[in-house]
Amino acid sequence: MLLLVAIRLLAPAEWTSWMTDPAKDFVTLSVSVIIESLPFVILGILLSAIVQIWLPAGFLLRRLPRNPVLRRSLISLLGVLLPVCECGNVPLTRGLIVSGLSVADSMAFLFAAPIINPITIVTTYQAFGWTDGILISRIVGGLLIANLVGFIYSAHPAPQTLLTRGFQAACAVDPHAEHGTRTRRTLISFGRESAAMMPALIVGAGVAGLIQVAVSRNLLITLGSNPLWSVLALMALAFIVAICSNVDAFFILSFGSTFLPGGIVAFLIFGPMIDIKMLALMRTTFTVRTLVQVSVLIAVCAAAIGLAVNLVF
Amino acid sequence: MFFSRLVTRWKGLALTLLAAIATVWLGVTGQLGLYINPRYYVFTLIMAGIAFVLTIGALLVIPGPGEDDEHDHEHAGFNGPDGRRPNARDVAGAGRRRPLLAFGGSLTAVVIVAAAAVALLVVPPSSLTSAAVEQRSLNGSSNTLANAGPPPGTSDDTSAYSVKDWAALIRQGASADDLSGRTATLTGFVTPDADDPDNVFYVARFVVTCCAVDAQPVGVPVYSPGWSSSYPTDSWVTVTGAFEPNPSVLSAATTVVRPDSLTAVDQPAEPYVY
Repeated sequence: MLLLVAIRLLAPAEWTSWMTDPAKDFVTLSVSVIIESLPFVILGILLSAIVQIWLPAGFLLRRLPRNPVLRRSLISLLGVLLPVCECGNVPLTRGLIVSGLSVADSMAFLFAAPIINPITIVTTYQAFGWTDGILISRIVGGLLIANLVGFIYSAHPAPQTLLTRGFQAACAVDPHAEHGTRTRRTLISFGRESAAMMPALIVGAGVAGLIQVAVSRNLLITLGSNPLWSVLALMALAFIVAICSNVDAFFILSFGSTFLPGGIVAFLIFGPMIDIKMLALMRTTFTVRTLVQVSVLIAVCAAAIGLAVNLVF
Repeated sequence: MFFSRLVTRWKGLALTLLAAIATVWLGVTGQLGLYINPRYYVFTLIMAGIAFVLTIGALLVIPGPGEDDEHDHEHAGFNGPDGRRPNARDVAGAGRRRPLLAFGGSLTAVVIVAAAAVALLVVPPSSLTSAAVEQRSLNGSSNTLANAGPPPGTSDDTSAYSVKDWAALIRQGASADDLSGRTATLTGFVTPDADDPDNVFYVARFVVTCCAVDAQPVGVPVYSPGWSSSYPTDSWVTVTGAFEPNPSVLSAATTVVRPDSLTAVDQPAEPYVY
C-alpha cells in the first residue's frame, strides 16, 4: 500500500500522458463509480451484519405474516425504512437470506427497496413533483414488479438452486451458532461480505466505465421522443449508466423536455433493479441463469409500464 | 491451496482498504470533487472512515491462511465463471472446487486487486476530457434547463453568470439580440465545435449531479479563427467578450462570444459545476 502511494508521489505528474483521452475517461469513470458506491456497499454490509448478528434469531421472520402474498407485500415495503440504494441492498439481501428469509421473499425486498427507499422517493418528488404521474407510476410499478418476481419465484421447486454454490454454502452456516463475541463475528462477517461484494463492485465499475466510453449516448437520447423507442432507449440508458437510485431522478430530469414520461418511468423503474453494476453485484448471490430470467422479466414489465404511461398521459 | 486461501480471505479487505484510502486521500487533497458531487462528501468520507476501521479490525481477527476456521467452506463461486446449476445434493460440498479452478479464481482476484490499486492509487486523479464531450452531446441536456429564467434585462447583473448559466440561456433560445451588449467572463476547458472546428470552440464544463458517471457537458460557443494553434483541446481558458450572431456558416451555434481577451489558465480545483 505504501509502495503504491510512493509510486504515485514519486512518479512525474505527466507520466500518464501516454494514455489516450478515452483511456483516461475510462479510469475516471470507473473510479467515480467505485467512490460513489463504496459508502452504500459498506452501509449495506453493516446493516446485513446487524440483521444477522445483532438482532435476535428470527427477529424479523417471526413478525412477518404467514400468508405469502401479504408477507411479500410487507417485505417489499420494508425498504421505506432503509435509506440504502441498490448497491447496499445486495449485501443486506444476502444477510436476509442467510437469516432464513426465503429466496423469493428476498427478491421482493431486493427489487423494491431501492425504489421505495425514502431518499429515492424524496428526490423523485423534488425532480418531478406530481407531473405526468411519474412518481406514482415509479413507486406502484416498482412494488408490483418486485411482488410479481417474488410471486413467480415462490413457485420454484428448489429455490436453493437459484443461488450460487458459494452462497448456498454460506447459508448452510447458522450465524447464531458461530462462536466468538458479537464484535468479532461482525468483523469476520465484514471480511467475508467484502470479499464477495468488493471484487464484484470493481468489475461492475470497470464494465460500466468501459461501456460509457464505448457507447455514444447521443443515439439513445435521439430516440427519447418516440413513444415506443423512448421506453426502450431509456431502459438501455439506465442499464449502461448504472446510476444510484437515490439520484437517478435528477439525472434523467436533466434531459427534461427531451423525453416522454413513459420513457422516464421505465428508466426510473428498470435502472434501480437491473443495471451493469447491479448484475455484477447480484452475481455474487444468484446464478447467471436466475439473473437472465429476472432481467428479462423485469425489462418486459418495466417496458409495459412505460408504454402504458405514454398512452395514458 | 495456501495461495487460494490467502487470496480468498484478504481480497475483500484489501479492496475495501484501497477504496477507503483513496477516498480519504482525495478528500484530504480536495480532489473528491473530481468524482462526486460535494453534497456527498460528508457521507462518503464518514463511510470511508468506518470502512477503514472495520477493515483494520477484521484484519486483526480473521485467522491467517494456515489456520483452520469455520468459514473455510465459503471460499468459492463468488467470482468464478461458474454457471453450472448446483443440485441440492452437493450443497454440503459446495465450494470444494478443484485446485486448478480455485487457483484460476485466485489469480482473477489478484488481477482485480492490482487493477483497483493502480486505478485508485497510482493513476493521478483527473477530470473528464473532450472525448467524453463527444460521447454525451454538448448542451444536449442542461441541468439548469428547469430553472433558467428569462433572458436577463439590461439592468440585471450578469457578471456572476457561469458557463452553465449562459449555456442554459442560449439553449432556451436567447438570441444574440437578447444578449447584445452583454459581456461574459467564462472559465472552462476548450472543446472544438463539431461542425466548424477551425473557427469555433466551446468553453465547456461538466455538470455533475451525483458522480462523474452522470456528467453532462455544457458550453458556450466562442468564435475565434485559428484558436487551436494557441489553445489545445482540453486546456483551460478564461474568455471575456460580448455576445454576437455567429459569423461561421458551418457551425450550428447561432450566438457566440467574440473574445476581447482569451487567456490560458490552470484547471480550477473544482473543474465540474453542480
